[in-house]
Amino acid sequence: MDTKAYIESGIIESYVLGLASVEEAAELEMFYTQHAAIKNAVDEFALMIERTAFENAVTPPASTKETIMSALADEFSEGRTVTPIIPLHTAVPETKVRNFSALKYFAAASVVLLLASTILNFYLYNSYRAANNKYEVLLVERNGLQANNDVFRTKLNGLEESMRIMQNPDVKVITLNGTKGKENNLAAVYWDSKTKDVYFLPTRMDATPSDKQYQLWAIVDGKPVDAGVIGDCNGLCKMKNIPNAQAFAITLERKGGSPTPTLSAMYVMGKV
Amino acid sequence: MPETLKYTEPELIDLLKLRQQTAFSYLYDNYASALYGIIVSIVPDRELANDVLQEVFVKIWKQVSTYDASKGRLFTWMMNIARNASIDMLRSKNYQRSQQNRELTETVYEKGGSTSTNVEQIGLRKLVNSLKEDYRILLELAYFEGLTQDEISKMLNMPLGTVKTRLRTALIQLRELMKK
Repeated sequence: MDTKAYIESGIIESYVLGLASVEEAAELEMFYTQHAAIKNAVDEFALMIERTAFENAVTPPASTKETIMSALADEFSEGRTVTPIIPLHTAVPETKVRNFSALKYFAAASVVLLLASTILNFYLYNSYRAANNKYEVLLVERNGLQANNDVFRTKLNGLEESMRIMQNPDVKVITLNGTKGKENNLAAVYWDSKTKDVYFLPTRMDATPSDKQYQLWAIVDGKPVDAGVIGDCNGLCKMKNIPNAQAFAITLERKGGSPTPTLSAMYVMGKV
Repeated sequence: MPETLKYTEPELIDLLKLRQQTAFSYLYDNYASALYGIIVSIVPDRELANDVLQEVFVKIWKQVSTYDASKGRLFTWMMNIARNASIDMLRSKNYQRSQQNRELTETVYEKGGSTSTNVEQIGLRKLVNSLKEDYRILLELAYFEGLTQDEISKMLNMPLGTVKTRLRTALIQLRELMKK
């Protein structure tokens, strides 16, 4: 910028005498710090005005100073520790106190929350233990049920299998009627004509003593052939495979069976 | 009596900001008369001028924290406080009422100062009065009576731009006078 033109424009005199606008003053103050020439010009005129003012000074009344000093008596720092000028806002300490109170409040609130949380923890833990116990019990029950279920399934399979055998058109049914003195007994033999598998059904048989067991015989050409002992069966009892037979009979033998039948202990018999 | 101890301007300012009575007393002793001279050139009534002087020193004390040395000398700052307080006094209702009684408005306008107290034109006013009339009147109205350029433009029925440039020229001429 043309500092010379600026200095000669009259703006400096205007500023020093307080006649410059706000914008003009702001601009000059900026230049004052930026350009030494402008600063010097301003200071020079300011000194001229100051000199003129001192040359034309007028002594004020003697009492005026005292009036002013008493009016400001409370504001002087002498006799007190030197304090810098207090800024306009004194709200800062208040804010600090407020924050400190808030801190106390928050601390108290946190302690309360912690206590409440701890109590809740105890309660929840107890609830958990009770629930866990019930769960354990349920598990045991479930296992038991599972086991039962397995048993039933096996039984059902067995019975379904028996049904299939009995419904098989290749399977022949031979009714075994009770013998003399044992007329209440009734049984059946299911004989697969293709596979020659033999199945036994104890329709209605007297209970056996603990040391005895029923045994099935196939009568082949007048001679008895062992077809197996009768155990606890689920539905049909699978017996030995008999290729050929004219009749079947059940005798009561000692447990485990006998190589030859005790004919006096025949319970049921039937012809093929 | 002025203190034998002399402060530099920066020292004085620092001590004033530290609220030292000694520094303020020094300030009054060394500057009150010069500032009073400016005040009476605007407010001729001595009683009112005295009130203004007191008001000015209280203002200086209270506002010293706002004084910024990077914007100019201390006296320039104090002088402007004095001038503004003086013009406020001129515009106050009390003053205008008392002036109406004297019907001196025209005289002030023409002669540039109150004749009632017969104070010799001194200082800046004396210099201003020696300028050519076109320039004298502008400085009179702007500096001593505190009218804005807008107000001057209306009063003299002169375009605002003319007021502005002519005022600048007047100030340059004033400076030339002061150099002598």
